[in-house]
Amino acid sequence: MAMRQTPLTCSGHTRPVVDLAFSGITPYGYFLISACKDGKPMLRQGDTGDWIGTFLGHKGAVWGATLNNEATKAATAAADFTAKVWDAVTGDEVLTLAHKHIVKSVNFTQDSSCLLTGGNDKIIRIYDLNKPEAEPQEITGHTSAIKKALWCNNDTQILSAADDKTVRLWDRNSTEVVKQLSFDMSVSSMEYIPDGEVLVITYGKTIAFYNALSLDMIKTVDAPASIHSASLHPDKDFFVAGGDDFKLYKFDYGTKEELESYKGHFGPVHCVRFSPDGELYASGSEDGTLRLWQTAVGKTYGLWKCVLPGEFSLTIGFLVTSLTKALLPRLLDLAGSWWFQTSSV
Amino acid sequence: MRPHVSVLRLPRGPDPNGRGFDPNSPRFIALCPTTISASTETGTDSVQIREEQRARSVLRESFLRTLIAMTNKQVQFHMYERVKVEAKFGASDIDVLNFQVSELHTPIGVQKEALLRCQDVISYSFDL
Repeated sequence: MAMRQTPLTCSGHTRPVVDLAFSGITPYGYFLISACKDGKPMLRQGDTGDWIGTFLGHKGAVWGATLNNEATKAATAAADFTAKVWDAVTGDEVLTLAHKHIVKSVNFTQDSSCLLTGGNDKIIRIYDLNKPEAEPQEITGHTSAIKKALWCNNDTQILSAADDKTVRLWDRNSTEVVKQLSFDMSVSSMEYIPDGEVLVITYGKTIAFYNALSLDMIKTVDAPASIHSASLHPDKDFFVAGGDDFKLYKFDYGTKEELESYKGHFGPVHCVRFSPDGELYASGSEDGTLRLWQTAVGKTYGLWKCVLPGEFSLTIGFLVTSLTKALLPRLLDLAGSWWFQTSSV
Repeated sequence: MRPHVSVLRLPRGPDPNGRGFDPNSPRFIALCPTTISASTETGTDSVQIREEQRARSVLRESFLRTLIAMTNKQVQFHMYERVKVEAKFGASDIDVLNFQVSELHTPIGVQKEALLRCQDVISYSFDL
């Protein structure tokens, strides 16, 4: 009998979660960083959601967060006009990079030597982390706030999405635009998949897939609601998306068919990403929580346990989960409605 | 009704008392030597790292002892934006992010109880 998805809720943030990122797979597993409007980005163990630490120092909402592949460094972008680089093992702040406006996006190169930043001052900056006092290289051209800036094509090019309704591909050395995509509305999110050079873009109710090198469109898929973020599975068989209607949608990438939708969040979903091994995906929401969802529902992985029919623990698990299902939503509902009433934007 | 997938436990949440990054975790212990930032520039051997760690321990202990010595004493704080305030020092929080002070003399009056944000403090001085 097909099992029902049990998402794992990671609590701790007190304001909306607006961005999240996974590290690569390290000898200690993989890690997850979440950016939150409460100004306190958190590091978690990627496969369990267990909290590891909170990066303390920002004086404003954190809009973007990222980890390097080895999960030894973290970078955050905040409304206090700074981007910060952190030691992701000790939690110590390593570098503060002052900007002239809200910083929205941060991204490390593969070797963690350079940091890309982008934000409301419409300028993309490249910082050499070995020479942090040196002036960053600047790339200008966008006419509105930059939402996301990512390294691509082996860190030789840069992809950026801005509120000017364009996605631009830049050459790192010449700082010139190589190619540009224009849309009818603002792009809500962007994900770059190096393996296969795929770019995932969301706007309105659409999830669009492009070739990251040529910016040729591969396909577009429409969802039932406005989508804020989408992520493609590493094997490129599924993709997940979430947005305004609080649900997570799972689609077949090949057939574009909507396979499943999951309820769970109490607010719009702002970000969703697959883990590096594709076994789970994490979503961040306006409700201040992160949720971890299984790709293969029912499989034993992380904190999820596959229980065979007839096993005693199935009954216990079923009782616990059905009790929790009955009581927790009522408690969360009360807490959630109180929270929404009392919190200010 | 379809059964829900069983869960071993819920993800652990934040510790209300600290910022985490457990120094006893296997990852911290294994990767820690590389996080002594002053040592990463030059290729140092274990003797130098030990010396540096000893120096750091001495400095850290002195600092913690000054915090104890400061309790209930009048302390002058020099802060950013040319702010100079004086207060009776109460305590520091565990990560030295905030100082709890009483009778804080500010240009706009005396605050009976206050929290000073440590990152805003440039220096402070007091009489032993």
